[in-house]
Amino acid sequence: MALQTLSPGAESTLVIAPMLIVLVAAVGTLLLGTRPRARAGVSLAGGAAYLIAVAAIDWYVVLAPDAPGAATYQVGGLPAPFGITLVADGLSAFMLTMVAVIGVASLVFSIRVLPELDRRSYYFPLFHFLALGVTGAFLTGDLFNLFVWFEVMLMASYIFVAYYGGPQHTRAAFWYVALNLLASAVFLLGVGGIYATTGTLNMADLARRLAAPAAYGIDPGPVVGLLGLLLSVFAIKAGLVPFQFWIPTAYRAAPPPITALLAGATKKVGIYAIIRLSFTVFADAQIGVDLAVPIVGTVLAGDSPLAFIGAALFVMGTASILVGGLGAVGRDSLEGVLAYSSIGQVGFIAVPVAIAATTTVPDVRHIAIVAALVYALNHALAKGMLFLAVGAVRTATGTSRLADLGGLASRSPLLAAAFFIGSLSLVGIPPLSGFFGKFLVFDAAAQAGSLSVLVLLLAGSLLTIAYATRAWNRSFWGQRTSAVEDAIADPVQVAVLLALAVTIVAVGIGFEPIYRFADAAATAALDTDGYIDAVDPNQTVSGVDGGSVDAGAGGGGGGGETGTGTINTTDGGETP
Amino acid sequence: MSAFVLALVVGALFALGTFLLLRRDLIRVVWGLAIVSQAANVYLLAMGGIELGGFETVPVLAGHGEGVPETTDPVVQALVLTAIVIGFGMTAFALVLSYRVYEEHDTLDASELGDRE
Repeated sequence: MALQTLSPGAESTLVIAPMLIVLVAAVGTLLLGTRPRARAGVSLAGGAAYLIAVAAIDWYVVLAPDAPGAATYQVGGLPAPFGITLVADGLSAFMLTMVAVIGVASLVFSIRVLPELDRRSYYFPLFHFLALGVTGAFLTGDLFNLFVWFEVMLMASYIFVAYYGGPQHTRAAFWYVALNLLASAVFLLGVGGIYATTGTLNMADLARRLAAPAAYGIDPGPVVGLLGLLLSVFAIKAGLVPFQFWIPTAYRAAPPPITALLAGATKKVGIYAIIRLSFTVFADAQIGVDLAVPIVGTVLAGDSPLAFIGAALFVMGTASILVGGLGAVGRDSLEGVLAYSSIGQVGFIAVPVAIAATTTVPDVRHIAIVAALVYALNHALAKGMLFLAVGAVRTATGTSRLADLGGLASRSPLLAAAFFIGSLSLVGIPPLSGFFGKFLVFDAAAQAGSLSVLVLLLAGSLLTIAYATRAWNRSFWGQRTSAVEDAIADPVQVAVLLALAVTIVAVGIGFEPIYRFADAAATAALDTDGYIDAVDPNQTVSGVDGGSVDAGAGGGGGGGETGTGTINTTDGGETP
Repeated sequence: MSAFVLALVVGALFALGTFLLLRRDLIRVVWGLAIVSQAANVYLLAMGGIELGGFETVPVLAGHGEGVPETTDPVVQALVLTAIVIGFGMTAFALVLSYRVYEEHDTLDASELGDRE
């Protein structure tokens, strides 16, 4: 690599590059209207440019030997915490990479899976708007802006769930829209409450104020409850039990390449938001938690809101593993199996996050976050690929019901090979990427010394083997059915699947760099001071004795009324 | 005082919205969603703190008449504007979608949507 160094200005531009690229692709495909070939071309070019931009962020911001670890872009040149800050650090870069890989695969796949009629509609612009929302959510450093990107992402996904317009699609879309509109209102409640409590919405500023509430004259107590509201919203996006009910119908209704993106990317937005807010923003909050749970008799105690988040995530994560696993065993269509499976797999991601939140040992916390991220990566790749494989099966045979399938392995060995590798990766067989995900999760649970969690994880893994074997046996082995007899798998689709299968194998064999990347991402997620420093280098926690503190405290004694005063006075005192 | 009134209004709106959300008629559900998101907006506005403002918070009033009425933080006003636009768009979409549901299912009763494929 000759291009080892990059000027700070260029890094800053790099942060916004992925967003600009998807936006241009979205508007470009809209403008091209009724020319499907040109639309597909612009879409592919946008996808390729996105992949390059994300790779550049990975290298120059995170992985290069002299990389700064985080880069920011202050929108409109307004300095933090007054403007909106976009932050690309290890965690964001890791998530973006995941989305870029599965997004481009899904895009190439889309061009083949959609008949001519579909291509004339708004499929590609919506695809890019969905990617824009996901990208924005990963990059933003502002709580309200996170809400806005969630909405951008959701609006596109609403239309995709209703895309085919049949009875089951409109029904699924209506409940999906209703649930998410309600979630948006709850998100606003959380945002409003946090603003009233702390006087800021910039995540770095929020972390700084919560770490030293007395210095800023705020009473951070209500933040725990408000965080609970936000956690429920993110759990809806991630599809954790008890908010999992929308997943099977919505995943079955959306076009298969979009389902791959919903499972691979938008679900991860929920996970990302939980990790980012819990660990980067709220981990150092000086709030004593002392809560007696009535029926179980456990007492939650700790000196940060993490104790509370960890307990909630434990319950949701383990319940997801069981509900997802048990549900997947009994489904009668490939999508159904995979949709329930993805509820269970998100549980496998949530459990290490819960371990990280409850443990007090920094090393265990670090390992648990790495485990969650590696598992998330494997889920994005393997589940994304399996959903695409279902799309390929549907293109070839016209059905995805297990009862109508059988013997696909002899009819299309390559398609079968890809599905086989994806299933093995879900189960966690070495040397595939899924093995390391499972291994690290078990390792984190063992290091935390939690036997009951280990048993639950083991049960979840056995269920994974059960449903993966069942789906494979019913659809790829056995007698060929009439639907399979004259099935012809699309060569481009199979090529995309094989490329993803090779990626899964490659991630497993060359795991070292991936681990380093996940390690950097976990370090970034846990490094609150580094995050604050990257966003707003002019104010540090130790420099709190300056004008801003007096201004904040003098602004009116804390609580809801201080917002204006705090901001204006700080503005006067601190803007360079 | 106005904070107390607003608290009552927000509570009443949430109660009404929740009641409508639980109805079987899909149009009522959409109304419920609209009311809940408006209640969230009012709450957001109230969270800025309603207090007597000065010319530094409402500069446009400087030189126009006397005094500044009770006002809220300009930041939450900006947030609420964004939220209103999003909420408006989503309500419109939900209404169109419920019409489409009616076309496909010939009913708007949630319990009669059934398993039509």
